[in-house]
Amino acid sequence: MPSAVSHLDLASPARQALRGPVRRVPGESVLLAPQDLHPALWLGHQLGRNPDQAVASGFAMLDAQLPGGGWPRRALTELLLPHPGIGEIRLLSPSLVATQQAGRLVMVFDPPAHLSAWALAQLGIDVTQLLVINTRCKVVAGSDSLWALEQALKSGHVGAVLAWLPPRLRAERLRRLQLAANSHDGPAFVLRETAAQQRPTAAPLRLALRAGGADVLSVRLLKRRGPPLETPLQLALPPVLSSLARSRSRAAQIEAPPLPVAATFINLA
Amino acid sequence: MLWIALHLPLLSLESFVATLPGGAAKQQPVALMDAQRIVCANAAAQALGVKIGLKHATALALAPQLTLGQADPARDRQAITGVAHAALAFTPSVTLEPWGDASTAPHTVLLEVQASLRYFGGRAKLLQCLRAAMAPLGHQVVCASALTAQGAALLSRLDDAPQGLHAADLPSLGCLLHGAPVWLLEAGREHWDVLQGMGLRTCADLQRLPRSGVARRFGETLLDEFDRALGNRPDPRRWITLPDTFSSRLELFARADTTEQVLHGASLLLVRLMAWASAQHAQVRRFTLQMQHEARHRHDAQTPPDSTLDIALAEPSSDIAHLRLLLRERLAHLQLPAPTLELQLYCSDIARRAPPNQELFATTQSEREGLVRLIERLQARLGGEQVQRLSRIEDHRPERSSALHANPAAALEAGPARGRATASAAAQAMPAPRPVWLLPQPEALPERQFRPLLDGRALHLLCGPERIESGWWDAALAERDYFIAQASDGALVWIYRARLPLSAAAEGQGWFLQGRFG
Repeated sequence: MPSAVSHLDLASPARQALRGPVRRVPGESVLLAPQDLHPALWLGHQLGRNPDQAVASGFAMLDAQLPGGGWPRRALTELLLPHPGIGEIRLLSPSLVATQQAGRLVMVFDPPAHLSAWALAQLGIDVTQLLVINTRCKVVAGSDSLWALEQALKSGHVGAVLAWLPPRLRAERLRRLQLAANSHDGPAFVLRETAAQQRPTAAPLRLALRAGGADVLSVRLLKRRGPPLETPLQLALPPVLSSLARSRSRAAQIEAPPLPVAATFINLA
Repeated sequence: MLWIALHLPLLSLESFVATLPGGAAKQQPVALMDAQRIVCANAAAQALGVKIGLKHATALALAPQLTLGQADPARDRQAITGVAHAALAFTPSVTLEPWGDASTAPHTVLLEVQASLRYFGGRAKLLQCLRAAMAPLGHQVVCASALTAQGAALLSRLDDAPQGLHAADLPSLGCLLHGAPVWLLEAGREHWDVLQGMGLRTCADLQRLPRSGVARRFGETLLDEFDRALGNRPDPRRWITLPDTFSSRLELFARADTTEQVLHGASLLLVRLMAWASAQHAQVRRFTLQMQHEARHRHDAQTPPDSTLDIALAEPSSDIAHLRLLLRERLAHLQLPAPTLELQLYCSDIARRAPPNQELFATTQSEREGLVRLIERLQARLGGEQVQRLSRIEDHRPERSSALHANPAAALEAGPARGRATASAAAQAMPAPRPVWLLPQPEALPERQFRPLLDGRALHLLCGPERIESGWWDAALAERDYFIAQASDGALVWIYRARLPLSAAAEGQGWFLQGRFG
């Protein structure tokens, strides 16, 4: 192991860390773990660590599987979902609320439908600290629809960014966004269609989301700095349904759906 | 009293070059003419043999590629006013020399800086700051300092050394001026031929002659100017005052067909605007760029004689790069009805306040400022109405309960604490869950055996009905029963049907998809 390390071109902090253990006693083999050398090194079976402190996602089960223990800062997080409305906002809301409580702004780019201010408030998101930016309403000559997103990431003044990307985005444009995200001190979520998982990505973290039942989100980690995760995570989202309704949903999934009892309303008019 | 004189030897030429299209290179030969004679030429033109005093046709024969412009006193006055405004940031006592007509050569700006020396950390530092402030205006500046105003002015014209001459006391000033040629004096230029014929070349020669004789022959002014320079005679000056509103115009040499060319000219006007604003320690809140079109290139009588671009800033700024960026974005959208011939920049809306502290590390204040700039940039490119803020409305009808406003600045005003308090209050006010995504128009769902279908699969009703009956006071009466249903893939949706057959007639029969729980 030490011989393998010695020919690595390491940055200066690593070299300082190396200086101690390299003075070895003859005959004694010193095993150097790469993760002790530099924060950017890790073994294949370990989870990578982020030099920046990650933003806790609010789901302990997910945090345990994410490198650094949460959503990364200064990097894109790619979420692939079949259609809007499977619980993606409820998945992200704890980290967005934490960003807003730190006094920072959240920017939403090109939401796929109208946002309900009351629903966001129910999730704890402060709608006054949220800006919605529509970039695809008007075609501007000489600029693409990702210009605004890139500017927001580059400025480094936005707390968190949530962006719906156009379908069939080319890989190099995502790469540009990833480079811009380097100066963005906070989580940056880009949401894309599920078909994008066939193509490579520049984002260091890629998750596929799928509805896993009522108030349950099934999250598959497609790409992370660490070993691949075989089984999808079943996350219990902040509930929309009451416990009674949830049990009804579970029962409905198990047994064959019964014919509905037609609801009758008495016409008082 | 310490005076600094800023001599601008090439002001006329430089103010003309600024009106040329953006691509004009520095090496291109340029000359100015007045009454068909060359009055000044740049180094490239002089290298080709163009001299001052040549006739127009002769100059063109020598250098066919010569760009010839007309000397324009009004243009020079605009330029030197910009320089004087920039100088006002250093001392309130700024005057122009010659005072009566600033547009004639020699162009000199005089500053009395004795009171500012301590603040700026000495003469050398002050000169350094002064040069840095003058740099964006794009003029070649020769600085000189002396104890008298006239003495400083003469020294600045005497030698164009980059460091500039400095006379610390009156005797040394006298030494320097005695060797100066007579044509430095204004009256000396008038009598130049006679003086030369008499063998009077330097000021020392003039001094040696009997005073009364010189005064009788050449008038009192010749000696008077020299006496003022040496401090033997009082030299009262009038200070320039700053106008309340900024207005500067630039006549372009060639028609500007593209906004890029307009931007090139407008950049100079912006520099002058910032000089004017910095003289009163103010930040610009709003400015107007007026572009006047050439009359014969207007397509028809309906085309306006000018286009106006009004730029209002969310936060007053004194950063010229930011203003230029905003102007560039706005100009990129603007469609000019005809080529532009003249630009005019107005500003009267400024904010007078202390300049912000310089920060080593980012603070909330600097972050907020950066956000305001980012939002302004996005608004300038995408349009003001595309950057929106969400707000709650006290209405039970889902389609009316949220509104988007194009006023993002308010988002920055609202403190996080206040916003959180209202958010938690809202959660209590609306106990029933609401979906995050609302469809712009409720989508009619097909039915099979009285069950609504979504994407061809039956929906399971899990929760409801929740009755929303509101809006009898306006045209959009809603009487609906809402259910939370589960789609086949497990996602939750929010659907409704009209409460009564009566209202079903108005709202439509059957089930509708209103939103999705995101």
